[in-house]
Amino acid sequence: MAKLDLSRRSFLKAGVMAGVSVYIAPFGSRAFAALFEEKILTPLQWDAANGQAKFRIDGIAKVTGAKVFARDIRATDMPHWPEQQAHALILRATQADRPYTGFDLTLLGGELKPDRIVTAADLVRDGLAFPAFYGEDMLLPTGKIPAYLGHAVAILIYHDFARFRCAKDRLKFHDEVICYGARSGPLERDPWGVFRFVRVGGAQPYADDVFSSLKNAPLFPSMMRKHKPVWPERQEHGKLDEQGMFHAAQIEAELTDPPGDWLVLTRDYSTSSIDTAALEPDNGNCWYDATTHSLHMVVPTQSPQEVVESATAMVAQCRYPVGQLFLHPCYTVGYGSKDHYNFPFYSLVAALYGEGRPVRLANDRYEQFQTALKRHAFKMHYQMAVERKTGLLQSFKGEFEADGGGRANFSASVAMVAAAGAQSIYYFPKSDLATTAIASRAVDAGSARGYGTLQSMTATEMMVDEIAQQLGLDAIEFRLRNTLKTGMKNTEGAIPAGASRADEILEQARVHPLWTQRAGKKVEFEAGHPGQRYGVGFACVHKCFGTGAEASFAKVEIAPDGKVTLHHSATEIGTGTSTSQALVCARWLGRPAGEVNLPVLDWADLPVITSGDPYLMSQAVQDQLSANPRWSPSYAAPASATNSAFYFSHSTREAARVVFTHGLWPAAMSIWTQGIGGGQAAPLVVRLEDARWVDGKLSAAGLEPLNVERLAKQAHALGLVTGATVHVFNRWQWTEADFEINGVVERLPLDGLSLLYGAGATLAPRTHRLTPGGYHVLDRKRVQFPPVQRNNAGTTYYSAIGTLVELSVEAASGQVEVLSHHSIMECGNQISPQLVSSQLQGGIAMGIGHALHEYLPLYEDGPGNGTWNFNRYHLPLAKDVAVWSQTGEVLPPLSETDPPKGIAEVVMIPVVGAIVNGIAHATGYRFADLPVTPQKIQEALA
Amino acid sequence: MKALIPTAESTAGAGMNDATARIAEQPLVWHRTRPISCRVNGQQVGSIQVPIGLMMIDFLHEYLNLTGSRLGCGQGICHACVVILDHPDGSCEEVRTCITGAHFFDGKQVRTIEGHATRNAQGEVVEPSAIQQKFLEHFSFQCGYCTPGFVNAATILLEKLKQQPIARDQVESTIGAGLGQHICRCTGYVGYYAAVKDLVLNTPGLVKDVKV
Repeated sequence: MAKLDLSRRSFLKAGVMAGVSVYIAPFGSRAFAALFEEKILTPLQWDAANGQAKFRIDGIAKVTGAKVFARDIRATDMPHWPEQQAHALILRATQADRPYTGFDLTLLGGELKPDRIVTAADLVRDGLAFPAFYGEDMLLPTGKIPAYLGHAVAILIYHDFARFRCAKDRLKFHDEVICYGARSGPLERDPWGVFRFVRVGGAQPYADDVFSSLKNAPLFPSMMRKHKPVWPERQEHGKLDEQGMFHAAQIEAELTDPPGDWLVLTRDYSTSSIDTAALEPDNGNCWYDATTHSLHMVVPTQSPQEVVESATAMVAQCRYPVGQLFLHPCYTVGYGSKDHYNFPFYSLVAALYGEGRPVRLANDRYEQFQTALKRHAFKMHYQMAVERKTGLLQSFKGEFEADGGGRANFSASVAMVAAAGAQSIYYFPKSDLATTAIASRAVDAGSARGYGTLQSMTATEMMVDEIAQQLGLDAIEFRLRNTLKTGMKNTEGAIPAGASRADEILEQARVHPLWTQRAGKKVEFEAGHPGQRYGVGFACVHKCFGTGAEASFAKVEIAPDGKVTLHHSATEIGTGTSTSQALVCARWLGRPAGEVNLPVLDWADLPVITSGDPYLMSQAVQDQLSANPRWSPSYAAPASATNSAFYFSHSTREAARVVFTHGLWPAAMSIWTQGIGGGQAAPLVVRLEDARWVDGKLSAAGLEPLNVERLAKQAHALGLVTGATVHVFNRWQWTEADFEINGVVERLPLDGLSLLYGAGATLAPRTHRLTPGGYHVLDRKRVQFPPVQRNNAGTTYYSAIGTLVELSVEAASGQVEVLSHHSIMECGNQISPQLVSSQLQGGIAMGIGHALHEYLPLYEDGPGNGTWNFNRYHLPLAKDVAVWSQTGEVLPPLSETDPPKGIAEVVMIPVVGAIVNGIAHATGYRFADLPVTPQKIQEALA
Repeated sequence: MKALIPTAESTAGAGMNDATARIAEQPLVWHRTRPISCRVNGQQVGSIQVPIGLMMIDFLHEYLNLTGSRLGCGQGICHACVVILDHPDGSCEEVRTCITGAHFFDGKQVRTIEGHATRNAQGEVVEPSAIQQKFLEHFSFQCGYCTPGFVNAATILLEKLKQQPIARDQVESTIGAGLGQHICRCTGYVGYYAAVKDLVLNTPGLVKDVKV
């Protein structure tokens, strides 16, 4: 075995959690390169003229088949690991209505007998259990009913590959290996979460609300009875929740006995459980070195911070001494399914029983269907009221039920966001949205792309379309009448950030040829295609991004030769974060970061501590904790919730801005003012706001353009700021604080800041009390964290998109063909138009799958039984997505100062509603259960 | 990158180097093994004893440490695992390694994703292949898991067009026929298809009625 050499080790940044020293060598970092002796990331090649990347920073590695994924890594790839790779598989229960009594491996014979079998008894004996977030029974003990289909019961470990491979093949589909007692019925449990948002607006949309979640409070059940929520009593002048229930009752009464001019539409919608089908199946390769008490983990994850916290907490309690944790988070893909998922911890456990060998645990696709976090199946009961005379929406009552499956995961949150997002782009004077995430024996569902709003907003778009039809109004005209205008409130009573631009999207869609010519084309198409029905559908949504507790770190440094380096707490999940964050630096530094390190988890150069729950803490507690200048409500967010473009860019941009304003700009001024009488600058009025980068050179007010190399060299020589590490926090608004830099107090949208100075710095504080990385940590003053009441805002950041879909339906077969589609999107300033385009195109493809193809039964016939794969779960192919005939456009930003907005989720949503509405146009049938399969269409048309 | 199982002739394809590993494989008796040798990316591999019935993808991953051919489904549906099988007559075809036994390739020649780009003596990429370059320029992929399959399929398509050029109005349908079974979950195919179309239309001799 090669020994971990200290020079390599020195690349790793250390921290201590739960008594365990943590070392991180993220993929693409120098540490990782040192370990793997490979260069995964190439310096970003970009076009200075237009500020765009020529290709992805990870592009060459990916296009040449380099080891990019954790799944690619074997023990022999890790320089300091033993070369003998062990392999593991997990036995899982496929019945969840009877007690599990054990397993029988007779069919393996002696030759394929595992080298080690790990059961619940081992875990109990050795003090190993899931982190609390994942619930109990990591491995199911005998005698208990599996909580869900696919519940793990044992880990089988083989010390060599050939026998592992043969054994896994032998066990495949042999459910009889698992033994059960008599049928006794599945577990019945309380829901994972229940919420209710009631709002009654004022006399007009801009007036103060009578009642809302933000102004007053969201509602929670007072108790559970037979696993169903019991709501508080209604009292007009009672407690807040009782007042809320009073208003909910008023809304219900009005919908039951509406004014004469109201149209009240009542519908039930449902949508299938969906597998995100991330092509890299879940996996991990971990090694426990008992001699040094070291645990090494190569894992794919969207949330490396969570893996570190949970893994250290796990091992801190166990019989195996672990003093050091080495985490190697890799580039991955998950669409949410690798965020806070439990697979890494099974890998961890397997390693502890590897008897000195690294153990690789890697799902095949059947196992991936059986275990990967799913998009929630939803049932939705909607009532919407509209005034016929004006065509204005009046009231919205929605009941949502999300099937969260066997473990809680983020189900409560998903159900909440589904309800909060259901209003989409519309303004409702009154609303009552009650949402429940139920516990069931289905495979766990989690934070899959769309996060509940895919389901709820699609239903809204289907209902709005039908209302327009019933009113005899053009469907886009009806939408325009009801758009949530800038400054109006959402169903939680919060005012969304900035300008609401959905109406611009609607106006463009309304005049698009697909829309204006649909009637004529329908006649023409159907005449030319006997047996085919033609339809055009439209939908428009806006989707929130962020979680309400978005925190991140960024460190931007510029070297004397002008090279820019970025460290960030973000994780690359395929969406191009590493590329886009590199580009964000160029706004202030004239060039993108040439070296990008992410995810970085330990931030010795800006110590930040966190405590409490950012969602639940009281204002008094937050005020008390914030007195500590190192405290923040949250440490670092995972890559999720479409949080890269807006939230991660904020920290990158602010760090770069500090380097500019306190490094490059004063360096430039020192050059421009050289010479007698103040040099070339003296006759001019020179202001920082006039600074512009042109072709990689900085100019302002007609001053000599200076290249970045010269500026960087000058900044270093003068001891100016050449690096900044920032920490930011957002609870639907940014934290702000005062920082004293060079004797001047500046208010910045940060809660933590440390500075690196050039070698020419000679005076304190630039030379004293520095971090190991040479940073001077500033003590913030007058910090203003967003008030905790904003937790009730639901959300305030949205990006909007409308999609027109042209399709045909073959009456005989029920087959739907998407002929073309056109999308119109609003997302602020695009960091990389190429990345935006591919997100849009990819999201639409996934949406098409959701609308027409992808279906999983929830229970015994579903993926938990271990028999599902792509042969019976149709993922859209190129022929399904109108690959040659699709188009898209992005609204120009309002100005060059618009922040970029996240779009990863919103792009997949409107196409779903547009397809269903298009099928209605084609067939006359409004389907309410997704996906709309050929069979359903055949039944409707029969 | 090291080969996992030492080969008898101590050779390796692109992306592999001399094996230093000494992996202890327990002998299989009831589950028998057979030797395999083949050419991978122009270099001789084997003879190596592997279990009968082992799929080629496992041979590439676990015995040669060539992990660029990706396991997506194990059923031959998604095509992330395809390699190029080169025939003695100069023709080639796409083969799904997740459903094709390793021994099928005994004595044959294959190209994997690791063999397309020009590399220096250290194995570093010096120049991507033409289609790899186009995929980069068109931002065709995000996660990149399916990319090796698309590179191989597009490479075969381009080589076929060199032998049998097509008419301009057949370009899109030909691309669809060549890549149509490959699954991409991230970018919706548009970037892949546009990249191949770009290359087909701008490479002399692939399209009959287009002058480049």
